[in-house]
Amino acid sequence: MSDEHIVKSYEEELQFLNDSVIKMGSLTETQLYDSMHSVIKVDKDSIDKIIKNDEQINKFRTKIDTQIMTLLVKRAPMAIDLRTAIAALKISHDLERIGDLAKSNAKKVKPLPLNLPNDLIANLKRLGDLVVKQLTDVINSYINRDYDKAKEVWAKDEQVDDLTYIAMNSVIEFLSKDKKNLDFSTHLIFVTKNFERAGDHVTNIAESICYLIKGEYLKGQRPKGKETQI
Amino acid sequence: MKKVKIKTKNLDVFYGDKQALFNVNLDLNEKEVTALIGPSGCGKSTFIRCINRMNDVIDICKIEGSIEMDGFDINGKSVDVVALREKVGMVFQKPNPFPKSIYDNISYAPKIHGKGETKDELDEIVENSLKKAALWNEVKDRLNEPGTSLSGGQQQRLCIARAISVNPEVILMDEPCSSLDPIATAKIEELIDELKTIYTIIIVTHSMAQAVRVSQKTGFFHLGKLIEVGKTEKIFNNPDNKMTQDYITGRFG
Repeated sequence: MSDEHIVKSYEEELQFLNDSVIKMGSLTETQLYDSMHSVIKVDKDSIDKIIKNDEQINKFRTKIDTQIMTLLVKRAPMAIDLRTAIAALKISHDLERIGDLAKSNAKKVKPLPLNLPNDLIANLKRLGDLVVKQLTDVINSYINRDYDKAKEVWAKDEQVDDLTYIAMNSVIEFLSKDKKNLDFSTHLIFVTKNFERAGDHVTNIAESICYLIKGEYLKGQRPKGKETQI
Repeated sequence: MKKVKIKTKNLDVFYGDKQALFNVNLDLNEKEVTALIGPSGCGKSTFIRCINRMNDVIDICKIEGSIEMDGFDINGKSVDVVALREKVGMVFQKPNPFPKSIYDNISYAPKIHGKGETKDELDEIVENSLKKAALWNEVKDRLNEPGTSLSGGQQQRLCIARAISVNPEVILMDEPCSSLDPIATAKIEELIDELKTIYTIIIVTHSMAQAVRVSQKTGFFHLGKLIEVGKTEKIFNNPDNKMTQDYITGRFG
């Protein structure tokens, strides 16, 4: 008995697909990280680079879609191989959405003032750091096919909800201090929401990984943190 | 819960000194398609040949354990093999119509089993059997032509019509589509889907995709042992046994 396919090219195609997902994951992770730093440092020079890099993520998704279509037609994969293909398809779509959210964050930086309150910056950074870490962890769980780690990430989204709540309150406080802040605050509300949504996509990826490994979906309700009013 | 039509208990089959099946315990549900998969020589054909006692004709073949159909031991001393084969029809890998007319191919078995005593009755059996096998419209105007004049796919449907002409309860199919093109295969698979509402069907196939398409239950054999059996969806999505997974994903080495 062997862990490798009899047909070597099939094995190579699955490996290639796996590598593509990991590369796409890594690129998305960098984009999300960069977008967070762009916001908290109000680094307007980084905006164009982040927007441009999103094209690469989109190209990866198209490439992965094509690889999967070819694999399905050529190999009619079964069991773990089918789950590998389906998981790659779903994960790449979630990564692409995270990429879009990172790009959206970058776009929000342009109108921001350079003197945002420190506590607001700190709260956004805590949220961003956690979501980036969640993404890193989920990609690692994909690389290592680590069910427990993926499940841990899934459950930890509760903390993302809590930090979103805190960050959102900071933004609202900033807004309530001076009506002139309305424009900036609207952008920061979007940024906060973008991180929360990115976190939701990370949990989707974690679910896909658990399904890939065990062939069954995670049971029960995911723990939820505090909900924002917005 | 489906009713169990056929139940094997601790089934061992020997060809002389060589043991072909080891302690096979398998329940085959009524009016359901069970697919048997596994590499060549794994015992799946031996298994289905036990169900209509085809192995009786092999002198060196010895069977131990029991095979029950509707609770009766089919290897019991009082069982009439001809009557058993009336209940259990079989379709083989290569279409093997008799060198007779299409009509005679179908009417032959009913005549032997004393069904259809008049010409009208036989006509009705022939028409019904060909209709059930989805062949009637293609051959109704040429019933007196040789069965062998039909295309491969039509010949296989003729063999299915022949098998159901005596109104069996079980149909055994040993790789029924392996010599057919995709269109003929699709027609047979469509037919299997319809026939399962009336008959219990056991199909041996080398095509995983076919097993997924036609069956509700799948059993995986390897080296004479039934390694795993379960709902088809489960077997092909997430089998419990690593050997099953290695086989269906093409990792067997």
